[in-house]
Amino acid sequence: MKRNVMTIVIGAVLIVIFALLLFVFQVRQSEVAVVTTFGKPTAQPYDKPGAYFQWPWPIQKVYKFDQRIQNFEDRFSQNLTADNNNLLVMVYVGWKITDARAFFPKFAGGSTLAAQSMLESMLRSAKSAVVGKHPLADFVNADAKQLKFDAIENEIEQAVQSQLQTNNCGIGIAFLGIKKLGLPENVTQTVFQRMTSERQILISRFQYEGEAEAQIIKASADRQAAETIANADAAATRIRGEGEAEAARVLPVFQQNPELANFLLRISALQQSLNQRATLIFDERTPPFDLFQHLPTNAPSR
Amino acid sequence: MSHDHEHHHTHEHPAPAPVTPDDAGSQALAEALHSSFAIVKVVMVLMVLAFFSSGFFTVGPQEKAVILRFGRLVGEGEKVLLNSGWHWSYPYPIDEVVKIPIRKIQSINSTVGWYATTAEQELSGRESPPGASLNPAVDGYAITADRNIIHTRATLYYHIEDPKRFVFDFMSAPNTVQNALNNALLYTAAHFNVDDILTRDVAGFRDAVLQRVSDLIEQEQLGIVIDQCEVQSIPPRQLSDVFTRVTTARENRNKILNEARSYENQVLSQSGAQASSVTNAAAADRARYVQSITAEAKRFSDLLPKYESNPGLFAQLTLVQAMGPILTNVQDKIFLPARADGKPRELRLQLNREPPQPKMAAPNP
Repeated sequence: MKRNVMTIVIGAVLIVIFALLLFVFQVRQSEVAVVTTFGKPTAQPYDKPGAYFQWPWPIQKVYKFDQRIQNFEDRFSQNLTADNNNLLVMVYVGWKITDARAFFPKFAGGSTLAAQSMLESMLRSAKSAVVGKHPLADFVNADAKQLKFDAIENEIEQAVQSQLQTNNCGIGIAFLGIKKLGLPENVTQTVFQRMTSERQILISRFQYEGEAEAQIIKASADRQAAETIANADAAATRIRGEGEAEAARVLPVFQQNPELANFLLRISALQQSLNQRATLIFDERTPPFDLFQHLPTNAPSR
Repeated sequence: MSHDHEHHHTHEHPAPAPVTPDDAGSQALAEALHSSFAIVKVVMVLMVLAFFSSGFFTVGPQEKAVILRFGRLVGEGEKVLLNSGWHWSYPYPIDEVVKIPIRKIQSINSTVGWYATTAEQELSGRESPPGASLNPAVDGYAITADRNIIHTRATLYYHIEDPKRFVFDFMSAPNTVQNALNNALLYTAAHFNVDDILTRDVAGFRDAVLQRVSDLIEQEQLGIVIDQCEVQSIPPRQLSDVFTRVTTARENRNKILNEARSYENQVLSQSGAQASSVTNAAAADRARYVQSITAEAKRFSDLLPKYESNPGLFAQLTLVQAMGPILTNVQDKIFLPARADGKPRELRLQLNREPPQPKMAAPNP
């Protein structure tokens, strides 16, 4: 009996596993599945991850698509700007399948390659149309207000987006940007020539500018120095004047007795004038040598 | 657990098996069957073991892993990520392990904007010499706002913040980051002038590139956080010579200007010193003058009463007092007494003139 139970259990398990394989399919994270019944897409696409029921082949068939954002870059192609410059532009696109049911019949069983080649042709026409509307100054400009880089990217994106919508491809664009900008090869050579001459102008400008500026700095330094000294001289004169004015306040003291003042002044003048390298000749009438008059030894010798 | 269960069965069964031994042949057959059943059972046990142990997996140090159960992510938020080490999941088809190469810091290089070269060539210094022009098919460059051509490249360092978004919403997220970086280089170069990019505002250019990349990444919701961005820019190799000469000229100019500035400093500090010495001297003069006159006034006031009491005596006393120091200072003193007869004496002076100053100054030191 035990053996029978075992067999039945094992058999049941096998059947369950087999049935699961037949009737259940998984949708992974980031995937979307479309189920066809006798070749026709039925029900809503399964865009949430999980396990779902299906009738086994040949009744139903499950097609799975990657729902993630895919990168696509178009060719680095030459376009004419509005002011007749040749500009090479390459754009990158992040696109994803937004409507799997629309996407699936459009591209032979959902081939990504087919979708990309369609995207490329749309990009090509959108790009040349948008680039043709803008002068080169919209692509490169020092003035942030006149630079229309973002606007150009947006215009290309809008153009492609609207084409995708009218064609009902089930594709959406998440983002689009310019990946590469370039000039035709022969133009780079003329750009180099222009750059060289610009550099040479810079070189000579640096030379003359430096000397001229140095001259200005030195001259202004000299002028400032002269000014400072002149100011200092004026200040010195003023200070001395102040000193004299201050002294003048003391003068009335001397007026109490001008005779004494005069006398003292003469004495100090005498002191000053006889300060150095002076030779004085006296006779005995000059004090204090008048003392010699009374020397006893002196008189008999005469 | 389950293999214990089966183990018991293998021991219970052999007892009822040899119930009907018909003959030697069938007995041998039964024994052969019996032993082969035992082998089959062992194999089955091993297979069950293998089935469950296949759920073990390792996550390396440079990666993380997530588990998809019936296609759905297991866990929420940060817990989605399994760190390096041993882990277990239900075997396929219930669970599926997806490994994500996440280093702490990821880096990516820009692909546009640099001339055709490889890392090896660059390291060994054996790059092919520049041609007369740039071939758009192989040589990358950026066009600046003043329509010059420069080479520029960037390396972006970032870490993944939202691995679910990074892995399951983008087919190739690193590629998307790279395109954002490329776009940022072109975009930023398009509104910077060549001298700003190369010399005047290198940091500003880098910051602008970083800003643009951050904006794009936020817009595209890549689920990453930028750590750092390095940008390197050079003039076209064809013009490196003339660019170097500009640099030299600029340095020369700066040198000349610095010299002028140091002259300026010198002249100004000298004149300042001179000015202050002039005013200081004046102030000293003033103080001295005022002080001396005040002192004299004081002396005058002191002397006045003495003078007034007897002017004649005072004058004589003062004069004699003054003569003492005066005569000490006088170099030559000649005393010439009056003649005894009282007649005037004749005196002849021969003045030896001092030689002019400069001549005297020269031999003296």
